[in-house]
Amino acid sequence: MSELRAILAETTERVLANAPDWARVEEAGLAKVLVPEEEGGFGGSWEDAFIVIRACGYHAVDLPLPQAILATRPSDLYPPMLLAAQMAGALQAALDLSVQYTRERKQFGKPLASFQAIQQQLAVFAEEAAAANMAAAAAFRAADLVEENGGDAEFEIACAKLRANQAARISTGIAHQVHGAMGFTAEYRLQHLTKRLWTWGSEHGNERHWADWIGARVAARGTSNFWPDLSSG
Amino acid sequence: MSTFEFAPYDLPPEAKALRGEVRAFLGEALEDKPSVERARSWSGGSREFSRKLGARGWIGMTWPKRYGGHERSYAERYVVIEELLVAGAPVGNHWVADRQSGPLLLRFGTEEQRRTLLPGIAAGELCFCIGMSEPGSGSDLASVRTRARRVEGGWKVSGQKIWTSNAQHADWMIALVRTGDAEQRHASLTQLLVDMKSAGVAVKPIANLTGESHFNEVFLDDVFVPDAMLIGAEGDGWSQVGAELAYERSGPERYLSSMRVFLEFLRIVGDTPTEAERLLIGHVTARMWTLRQMSLAIAGKLAAGENPAVAAAVVKDLGTSLEQDIPRDVQALAPAKTDEVFDRTLIYLLQTSPSFSLRGGTREILRGIIARELGLR
Repeated sequence: MSELRAILAETTERVLANAPDWARVEEAGLAKVLVPEEEGGFGGSWEDAFIVIRACGYHAVDLPLPQAILATRPSDLYPPMLLAAQMAGALQAALDLSVQYTRERKQFGKPLASFQAIQQQLAVFAEEAAAANMAAAAAFRAADLVEENGGDAEFEIACAKLRANQAARISTGIAHQVHGAMGFTAEYRLQHLTKRLWTWGSEHGNERHWADWIGARVAARGTSNFWPDLSSG
Repeated sequence: MSTFEFAPYDLPPEAKALRGEVRAFLGEALEDKPSVERARSWSGGSREFSRKLGARGWIGMTWPKRYGGHERSYAERYVVIEELLVAGAPVGNHWVADRQSGPLLLRFGTEEQRRTLLPGIAAGELCFCIGMSEPGSGSDLASVRTRARRVEGGWKVSGQKIWTSNAQHADWMIALVRTGDAEQRHASLTQLLVDMKSAGVAVKPIANLTGESHFNEVFLDDVFVPDAMLIGAEGDGWSQVGAELAYERSGPERYLSSMRVFLEFLRIVGDTPTEAERLLIGHVTARMWTLRQMSLAIAGKLAAGENPAVAAAVVKDLGTSLEQDIPRDVQALAPAKTDEVFDRTLIYLLQTSPSFSLRGGTREILRGIIARELGLR
């Protein structure tokens, strides 16, 4: 990670981790991550924006920061990409919470985390979170490459949102299962993450929408183009 | 903030340029190869094909030139590996040697071992097999019982290995053996290079459920292994075998094994797929695209000199799950009217797919590795 990006990540954490308010977000310039330096912004890339937007999902931030970032570079293509990043963040937060909870909660005289049945489920959760994160990160990278080379990142964005939806479907179930009844309460933090994930799974394209879109495109391109297209990046 | 860091990795221009060259070569070399044979992927092998690839400089690509290597980048090797797998090239004769035996010798082997063996591997002349599993030691690899006892000038090795792919064609085996007290478990394990032509080595193929014989039993009866064939240090076998498994798991071959039947499905449904067919194609494509990004990220880590062992376990488990879902889902959605090429490819991959999440470390072992990284054990 470059030094500037590390500073951005640190600032983002400082502002978003504890009860963020809009004044602090504005003061830190997080909404201007994509705005050129000469116009008073951070002068960052979409990959930089990924860090801020993903953190909004991780910390279940209730501020319109992703929308504010998008408003500086309006596009009809990018809303599902932004949501994929927020979902990747929320999945990681739900994973961290699940790991922490199962290490603390004891039954049969030992932590839940010591049971293989729990370990194997959380390993699957971690894999899904990693996949959603990779897909979103790669879509943001593709968006940067479009600005350099032209074209569009439609395919990558479609894959990223679909992969995030798949991961949310599998992982939210695991998160609640390992939390037992505690995860089902209004008081405990998990619901703030899983309820967002369930909402986002429908927004800007559910699994049917994107699988159909990708499937139609792949079929239209034909068998002989499948691998050349997939490996063109 | 992420448990596993997978950063997007852009292939450098020289790797992109190489892809066209490899694709053209494979298009010609494999022109008449039927789909069901391509579906064998790295289980199928031809020494002649390995020699051709060696002559092209596409084996041992990243190794130093003084050992017959080509000093190309990890990114270039990645591209070659990807294209070989997607084309279903018969790479089985050199695959293990190129992927793990050679790199292991480069890291832990003696100068003499490197000088005598690596050039032969890079030329596509030498076939290696993996001497890990035994009848009583599968996932619990540290329990191996094959013994090597000290004799004048070397060791005498006795015991049995099993599920040893390609042992019937192999020139060499890298065997994990016990050189000390079994009570010590990890501390008394050692890796030895066993010449498969040695007196006392007997190989007995085991037919698998498809009727093919890729794996074998290998009986070792007082086999003499000279001192010069010790890899690394006596008693370091456990950590060395861990490094070898990281090489084994970090390539892109863990998500592409069912590519052939997916391509057959695309061919059969043509350009007017039903909605159900489009949904399957879309779901598989998104998973495959993501796995490719993750696989590239691992190539990026290797290029940066990192050891991506846990990340490789993540990709292997996700990848083999996709490889197993593809034939099942394709069968569930296949139209009533198909053809023989499609049917044969599908049935072959349905039958082979159980092995995908067994070879190279079972799904349960991989998830255990990930759980340890999460701090659960």
